Amino acid sequence: MPDPVKVTIDGAEHEVPGGSLLIQAAQDTGTYIPRFCWHPRMKPVGMCRMCLVEVDTGRGPLLTTSCTMPCTDGMVVSTKSETVKKAQEGVLEFLLINHPLDCPVCDRGGECPLQDQTMAYGPGESRFVEEKRHFEKPIDISELVLLDRERCILCARCTRFSDEISGDPLIEFQDRGNYTQVLTFPDEPFRSYFSGNTVQICPVGALTARPYRFRARPWDLEAVESTCPHCSVGCRISVQSSQNQVLRFLGVDNEPTNQGWLCDKGRFGFEYIGSPERLTVPLVRGEDGEFEETTWNGALTVVSQWLGDIIAEHGPDGVAGLGGARGTNEDAYAFGKLLRAVIGTNHLDAQLDDGLNPQFLSAVTPRASIPDLDSAGTILVWGPDLKEELPVLYLRVRQAAQEGANLIIIHPRHTGLHDVASHTASYVPGRGPEALAALRAGSDEMAEARRLLMSEGPVVGLIGRTGYTEDPMLAEAVAAFVRDLPQASIMPLARRSNVFGALDMGLAPSLLPGRAAFASPEARSALAAEWATPIPESTGRDAAGIISGLTAGQIHGLLLFGADPVRDFPDQAAARAALEQANLVVAVDQFLTDSSRLADVVLPAEGFTETDGTVTNLEGRVQKVARLVAGPGQSRPPWSIFEDIAVSLGSSLGAVSAEAIQKEIAEVVPAYRGLTWEQLEWGPGREGVVIPTSAGEQPLRYVPVDIGVPAQTARLALHSARTLYDDGVHVRFSLSLARLAPGAYAFVNPADGARLGIADGALVRVTGAAGSADLEVRHDPTLAAGAVYVPFNQEDGGGIGDALEVKLEVLS
Amino acid sequence: MAEWSSSSRVDKIIASYPDRKSAVMPLLYLAMAEHGYLPDRAIREVAELVGMTPVQVSAVATFYTMYKREETGRYLLSVCTSISCAVLGAADVLHAVEDATGVPAGETDAERVFSVEHVECIGACGGAPAIQVNYELVEGVGVEKARELVQWLRDGEPQVVNGDEMQALFGGQRSFDWGPAETAGAGGPVPALESLGTVGEAG
Amino acid sequence: MKILTTRMEAHPSDSHTMERYLATDGYVAARTALTSMTPAAVHEEVKASNLRGRGGAGFPCGVKWGFLPPDTRPRYLVVNGDESEPGTFKDRQLLERDPHQLIEGIIIAAYAIDCHRAFIYIRGEYPKPARRVEQALAEAYAAGYLGRDIFGSGFDLELTLHLGAGAYICGEETALLNSLEGKRGEPRIKPPFPAVEGLYGKPTIVNNVETLSNMPWIVTNGGAAYAALGPEGSAGTRLFSLSGHVRKPGNYEIVMGMTFGEFIEQHGGGVREGREVKCFIPGGASAPWFTGDQLDIPITIDDVGKAGSMLGSGAIVVMDETTNVVAAAHSIVSFFAHESCGQCTPCREGTSWLEMVLARILRGEGRAVDLDLLLDVSDNIAPGLGWPPKMTTICPLGPSAVSPVTSILRHFRDEVAAMIPAEVPVA
Repeated sequence: MPDPVKVTIDGAEHEVPGGSLLIQAAQDTGTYIPRFCWHPRMKPVGMCRMCLVEVDTGRGPLLTTSCTMPCTDGMVVSTKSETVKKAQEGVLEFLLINHPLDCPVCDRGGECPLQDQTMAYGPGESRFVEEKRHFEKPIDISELVLLDRERCILCARCTRFSDEISGDPLIEFQDRGNYTQVLTFPDEPFRSYFSGNTVQICPVGALTARPYRFRARPWDLEAVESTCPHCSVGCRISVQSSQNQVLRFLGVDNEPTNQGWLCDKGRFGFEYIGSPERLTVPLVRGEDGEFEETTWNGALTVVSQWLGDIIAEHGPDGVAGLGGARGTNEDAYAFGKLLRAVIGTNHLDAQLDDGLNPQFLSAVTPRASIPDLDSAGTILVWGPDLKEELPVLYLRVRQAAQEGANLIIIHPRHTGLHDVASHTASYVPGRGPEALAALRAGSDEMAEARRLLMSEGPVVGLIGRTGYTEDPMLAEAVAAFVRDLPQASIMPLARRSNVFGALDMGLAPSLLPGRAAFASPEARSALAAEWATPIPESTGRDAAGIISGLTAGQIHGLLLFGADPVRDFPDQAAARAALEQANLVVAVDQFLTDSSRLADVVLPAEGFTETDGTVTNLEGRVQKVARLVAGPGQSRPPWSIFEDIAVSLGSSLGAVSAEAIQKEIAEVVPAYRGLTWEQLEWGPGREGVVIPTSAGEQPLRYVPVDIGVPAQTARLALHSARTLYDDGVHVRFSLSLARLAPGAYAFVNPADGARLGIADGALVRVTGAAGSADLEVRHDPTLAAGAVYVPFNQEDGGGIGDALEVKLEVLS
Repeated sequence: MAEWSSSSRVDKIIASYPDRKSAVMPLLYLAMAEHGYLPDRAIREVAELVGMTPVQVSAVATFYTMYKREETGRYLLSVCTSISCAVLGAADVLHAVEDATGVPAGETDAERVFSVEHVECIGACGGAPAIQVNYELVEGVGVEKARELVQWLRDGEPQVVNGDEMQALFGGQRSFDWGPAETAGAGGPVPALESLGTVGEAG
Repeated sequence: MKILTTRMEAHPSDSHTMERYLATDGYVAARTALTSMTPAAVHEEVKASNLRGRGGAGFPCGVKWGFLPPDTRPRYLVVNGDESEPGTFKDRQLLERDPHQLIEGIIIAAYAIDCHRAFIYIRGEYPKPARRVEQALAEAYAAGYLGRDIFGSGFDLELTLHLGAGAYICGEETALLNSLEGKRGEPRIKPPFPAVEGLYGKPTIVNNVETLSNMPWIVTNGGAAYAALGPEGSAGTRLFSLSGHVRKPGNYEIVMGMTFGEFIEQHGGGVREGREVKCFIPGGASAPWFTGDQLDIPITIDDVGKAGSMLGSGAIVVMDETTNVVAAAHSIVSFFAHESCGQCTPCREGTSWLEMVLARILRGEGRAVDLDLLLDVSDNIAPGLGWPPKMTTICPLGPSAVSPVTSILRHFRDEVAAMIPAEVPVA
């Protein structure tokens, strides 16, 4: 914190941080200075000139922009003098002379800073009798964003955002002077994962978003603050609706998480909520094999009967549960309690064989928070491409790198952060252990990386799996190395929205709720005492074990909670076979997915924006989600569905509301003990609560050890990883996003292309252990030679599986 | 990758700056010398060379008036209309040039022989009114001489235009003593400079 | 007394060549500086010379160099040869006729400020001057006056020619730096000033061509000798560009102090066709105008300043009694509107608005309210309409467009009003 200085603003003396920008300092002490170009999260440029004030630093009052003026001691500021008023009104008039004033048909009308300023200070009528600037309006600059250059006031917020913040400068000022305009390049649309932020920060209606255009007027909207459900970063959002329809998400500036930004998947991925494809009534598979609509009672009767039969015949171990990473902590807790306390099985997993050791994810120490990135000396990213999987975390790492942190990236191909990295290294999938050994030894190309990690701390390691063919234990070995670096902390990476919350609620065979180890008899008995029921003693199966157990006839009944293993299990074919093999599959879901389509009973669930609750992000930060609209038809909150199932089985979870469950969590779950709903309420400066990870406070201590993962080699190694947009249900049913999924291709290094005679654009058959897919080839010089990269879960291209070795045959 | 962009001249230009982005302006000139103007393709080529996005390069290219995003004629006639030329009849000179070429200011003829533009001060105020042909300067050009100049270009179709030669034939009052005449000149609407490879010898 | 133009006047046929330059004591001053003076000693001479920048702002050169933070390296020297101010063509002559004098000045300046990387930014519309500089650079490199270990002194200097591409605003030093960095030539917010944070964010000195062309003489003859020339505050000689309605337009190097009237008579041969001076611009298109009644103002930085204008870039534009001042003002305003970079609102919108109103008046479509409108729009760009101007803008370009507007409305309001058609009464 810089030393405070005294400044006098409009006659009142205030103490403000020295060097802070006057516009901010004035606002913090109660004086709002109008502005258009200044945005607190971007560098000041002083372009619009709206924030002109008079500043006297001892040489007489001088007109200056308060957004570029650092506060110094003794500064005397006037924001309301005649000179200031005249200057500001002059600027406003200049901004309006070429503005179309089409407020009645403008999406921004009602929440437009230019309109607000004009109403407050603007001239009654225009003195400008000349012809205004004309542009074709509006034009598409991407699939999501439209640009109206006549409304644009050239504040450069959008162009600066895309250059400075998101690092994909695809819109820029063109031409000069009075002809200046914002534009994209021909055939290079504004295809940025972050384009929606420019719409939100546009101070006029120049940039509008297709999913929201002409859908509502601001004054008709109801809003509630919540947490974005699309990945585990946990961005704070404002959910806005009208007439029980969710119409948009806006980013809310939460210092530790998103600082106001959202990715486009988060921002526009609200459309699925109102999709006509949502499940509205319970479905039961009839005699003819087709789904029939039924009542909740009818469905629950079927569930309890069939579950009862399986338990009677095979014992509780004949039942398993998958999912829980897409709901709230309360839903996850209820799901776990149903499985363990009512049914009595330990076969449960919130991950779908696509993640990491649950103990590592929930209890690795020392654990990094997102703000730790801001003060890091060196950041190591060895995990998924953050831009594709955790986009707003990508923004934060990018910002840290630009502010001077060393950034080291180790990945089989170029990731979104490569352009700001100080050191990068590549390896063929399977050879990660060798890359780690080289990093440990500081040999050859890793010498500089090691030097930075050893000498320029604090070090933050962002560690996860680069792809699904990678041994998940590699990440733990990397963590073991990072942990011993000076002032190091670790952020474990898993992408699915509430996977960290689900694991904290015990949705893994090795975990109990509250970061307690299943292996601990004390933890088991403590939980059993709280639940007043025995906890099953036998070791449970994880997702891979459940899938193989179903196929092998060892498990017979499966409860799916918001899980789509047929699409999300890395070996999709195996998951499909397992579900087809099962005696009973009960799916609690919002859509008929490829998995729930194979179920015997489908129970319609309410989801995000329809339920209250809490979620936990990748830092272990607990935040609230809020209900604003009712779910479609007869859909119910997941926790209440689990309660109903428990009741139908002659038991009860004791769950009467999400808040009540949260209270129970705060009593029962060691790591969450004492947490209250009130503590989590949103408000200025309220940032959620990070579950402590220090020794003594965290029941489970996970210390990574170098597990000595063996390197694997393959003549051609598969790299299978996610892209932001894919064929998951939330993208598929958010129509604006669905068409942005890139589709499946086989990416190969051009050197391999030359060696194997595979041209760019050729059609090849990629065959793995599980099956094959016919794909178009794209040459990618950033991909490690010897690797084939196939984006995971695209509309076509499934079925190759997650085995390392693949074959390529040229079809044409 | 286009042939021009892999030349040693390009490498030399890029190497002459501490940061390759600085090379964007000279490379835009090279691209213009290659293509005659700056089509989208040229912008992409330059973007590739300097590590910027095409729209960033285009942001630069459209800021400066000498980078032409539209096809230009073989002879770019720039008539100065700034104050010193203005008070000495620049408007009449411009009309004469428009009339003689048949090309209104800001446009190019269908055969792409002439482009005509009025430009702001070209630093020839002591020799007002002044014209540049492919940036080669002629000072003290009145209405009649301007017409003759256009005719000479039309008839002679010189490969290279050179200021000293045109000054001798059509010029009048000069800003200062030009010293010895030279034969170096421009072969197209790009300033003639050795490092750009755009210098031609007038015949 | 002449400094800058001595060689070109004595040797008009080859003043630009290395051969002639060496034959007329060329590179002696640089050799002396590099081999027998410390950088600080050179800097002291320049400070003592009281040389003020010749680009327009007139800031003392030695003081500017002193703003460099002592410990930050690299430092850059950037030579501003983007001469574009209407009426100005002096640097063009210095570049074209005596490029080695400039290069020698650059070597001396770079040595004085401990800089090893310099750039000459020449406007794109100056291909011939640029060719001459390019040729001179090649000669200087070949002779070992540029590159490594110059004159065996151990001092290294790389000097690169950079060609502009048509943007007056790049004459503003921070816009020039952006342009040199491969960006749009948009001025930066100051502070930080280039001496602290300039090219590539490093300490940078930006000096005008004429300023640096004085260096060899100052080193040879001493700063005190330079300071002794001309009145206080306007030391040395200065190259003035004279244009407009004079008999003999051209560049004239003078010791400052004579009046504008004397200058126009003695050097310009008086007004063409024996007419009277109606008004004149004393220092480039940005400067407020003087009228024929103000010809007795002495040509010094301070006298012109006191009279409410500036010597600026040293360009004197003379307009005789036949001049349509609205057309002349429109020409200048339209220049600034065309050259506005567009980033800040008052300049982008205001200069174009002024231009449109003047154009409308010229078309005979003026309204009585337009006169006050012009002044009020001007006031919103340059509050108070004083000189030097206060600014609502980032850089002085916008306020420059105000100068001709206030000039004609101050001095020739009746003439402007006379162009407004009488209001047609509404039937």
